[in-house]
Amino acid sequence: MQEVLSVRGVSKAYPGVTALEDVSLSLRPGEIRAICGENGAGKSTFVKILMGIVQPDSGSIDINGQTQVVRGPQQAQSMGLGLVAQELSLAPHLSILDNIWLGSAEVPFLHRRASFRVRAKQALETLGLTDWDLDRPVSSLTVGQRQLIEIARLLARDARVLILDEPTATLSDADIERILGILKGLRTQGRSIIYITHRLGEVFELCDSITVLRNGQHVATQPVSETTREGLVEMMLGRSFEDMYPKAPAHADQSVRVVVEGLDVPGTLNKFSMTAPRGRIVCIAGQIGSGANMVTRALAGLVPSATGSVTVDGRPMRLGSVPHAVARNVLFVSDDRAAEGLFPQMTVLDNLIATRLDASARMGVLSWPALRRMAASLAERVGVDRHRLKSQSIALSGGNQQKLLFGRALASADAGVLLMNEPTRGIDVGARAEIYRIMRELCDLGSTLIMTSSDLEEVVGIADIVITLYRGNVVARYEDEAIAMSSILADITHPTQAVA
Amino acid sequence: MWRYLDGPHARPFAVLAACIMLLALVDGDNGRFLSAATAYSTLQTFATISLVTLGLGLTMMIREFDLSVVGMYGMAGCIAVLTGTHYPWFGLWFALAVGLIAGIVQGFIIVRLHLASVGVTLGGLLVFIGIAFVLTESRSLPYDNLGVALLLNERVGGIFSIRGIVALVFFAGAAAIFAWTRLGRDIIAIGSDRRAAMTTGVKVDTLIIGIFAFSGLCAALSGVLLSYSLASASPAGLSDVIAPAAAGAILGGVSLGGGSGRPLGIAAGALTLAVLRSGLNAVGAPPFVNDITMGAVLLTVAVLDGPYLARRLIEARRWARRALGA
Repeated sequence: MQEVLSVRGVSKAYPGVTALEDVSLSLRPGEIRAICGENGAGKSTFVKILMGIVQPDSGSIDINGQTQVVRGPQQAQSMGLGLVAQELSLAPHLSILDNIWLGSAEVPFLHRRASFRVRAKQALETLGLTDWDLDRPVSSLTVGQRQLIEIARLLARDARVLILDEPTATLSDADIERILGILKGLRTQGRSIIYITHRLGEVFELCDSITVLRNGQHVATQPVSETTREGLVEMMLGRSFEDMYPKAPAHADQSVRVVVEGLDVPGTLNKFSMTAPRGRIVCIAGQIGSGANMVTRALAGLVPSATGSVTVDGRPMRLGSVPHAVARNVLFVSDDRAAEGLFPQMTVLDNLIATRLDASARMGVLSWPALRRMAASLAERVGVDRHRLKSQSIALSGGNQQKLLFGRALASADAGVLLMNEPTRGIDVGARAEIYRIMRELCDLGSTLIMTSSDLEEVVGIADIVITLYRGNVVARYEDEAIAMSSILADITHPTQAVA
Repeated sequence: MWRYLDGPHARPFAVLAACIMLLALVDGDNGRFLSAATAYSTLQTFATISLVTLGLGLTMMIREFDLSVVGMYGMAGCIAVLTGTHYPWFGLWFALAVGLIAGIVQGFIIVRLHLASVGVTLGGLLVFIGIAFVLTESRSLPYDNLGVALLLNERVGGIFSIRGIVALVFFAGAAAIFAWTRLGRDIIAIGSDRRAAMTTGVKVDTLIIGIFAFSGLCAALSGVLLSYSLASASPAGLSDVIAPAAAGAILGGVSLGGGSGRPLGIAAGALTLAVLRSGLNAVGAPPFVNDITMGAVLLTVAVLDGPYLARRLIEARRWARRALGA
């Protein structure tokens, strides 16, 4: 049978990073192919190249046996490729009908033709949605319903290859079941699907074959029937742990510092409870939408709707107020460095001392010599070049920016509670090792670290205590030797299908 | 029934109707408000502000903001008066071309250099005002072709003037584009979710430039028509248009968040302001009451439109319905 899509030797490099290196893939009609890999493995770049959003440095793409150069999303659509991106691409103010045809090259200037309405209706019927009002605005639909509209959009444009990038990441169980059922139906119509997911359960339920990417390279392509869950995880991770992660020394004082009871955030987190001892790293593991990052944000006082009781060092802490959390020495290091962490236009110096201005001021007048001394010593401790104190913080690399934020947290005199979301997101391996070292150093000083991470290797490597979350509920808690990749992965992907 | 009256697209018309009823009520049976004279003066005011409101409203609809309309409004009037004494059509076309090109240039800068529109158009605003002062040598210019002025202000069908009709035709055209063409969908999509529009293949950059060009054109056109009809142009005299224009757009259902608002709504918003202004004059209210009323109406609409209060109102309504049903 002729291959509907064949990608050969595609490579793509960004400044400083090789995103994809010599990746090939071919797809038969009616085949559902899973693409698996860790964050940063190159999945998104691969999709962008297929859709023409990014141009490859080398390699070629054949569609229906003919070599094509895909210059943009509209051209990709006209060649039969369609993408449901990770973030929805619907205009909420427009109706279902208008969204289905939005941006299509077929639509003439005068829009209201009956044939488009009929085809949109047919696409919805293919999905089993017979009674939907095409004139309803998309803003009135739930996330799951919107996801279906995205798929209907591809069908209405007669896409032969549907690329779905984590379509179920934010959906409820019922919606996921519905989408999986629909995708199986599309396979019987001879449409091919490229399915990108972190949820291994879906891979084994839905897909015919698996392609594994790791660090931008093709690792393996094989039928699902010949793959085991453990084998897949091993292929995704590839290597054993380097001595990247410094282990915790047996700290003398492991008294409990943070007690969380019944932490509730409507819609995302359900009766979350935990304790965190001094000098240890607690990691809350879960996928996007599991509520893991909501725990740290709520503890930092950033979630107004959070309820529950929290005590820090035996004293109660009120939720929903950042100044109150800071007063208890609970500090937040955001994963969104640009928006929530740094003052990007200010200098490294200003950023380091931003939270310590009160301590170095006398009657409101800042003492600059003292502040400069403090900044210099902080920079040294977190490994930021002292000569860069005067440069704009936005000019630093991601790794250095993150160190800067740690430095700011260190500026506090007492060992505090540090909350971190994805401390190494977008940071290369070298800087990572250094950040892990700093994290351990903080522990040695008696700080308590509570972090979230979607990078499982990191979770297993750095955490002393792991709490797994699935859709806002705690699945399990592991400590020290009990922390294992397989059980965490099973917990956060689908707790009911845990690996034996 | 309630659903239609309550929808976001009906709100501007409801506000307009409410203002008319209120003024009629205040006037009682004096016949000062509900008269052909007031209707005519209302439409004259409408003609003065509505096209600028339309252009500005469209830029707001795509989450941008064209501050330069004020400058273009004044400058285009000066250009037309300077060049169009003997050939009014030439003055008109020349000024319109300037408006169009200025809009394209600003849109191009915004799109290509990824700049915020407020900064760029603020620059445009100052440049246009400056040019107007240079062109007129800081004087107020008389327009000697009084025939044109009389023609533009002549009453057509009792309450219309040519200026008013031009404005209405523009709104009708814009409404038709939004109702029936692909262009309208694409513009709404850009304001609603620009990234989504881009990924689905909408030509976002071209359309943004086009909107700014249209906004420049609208500002130029209304500036020219006003200067012709007043038979004079002054570089400073016409600057009081940005507040009514922005207010009209917001009353017309345009939100700064983008995506919402339609041309007919903007027309209703501008008409609301015109009704308030002419109506309050007609019933003999002192001039400053005008501004206060405009502010009060705008504030009311803004508060009612806020998501927080809106959610509370929906909850209250649901609760009331349940209580009544039980």
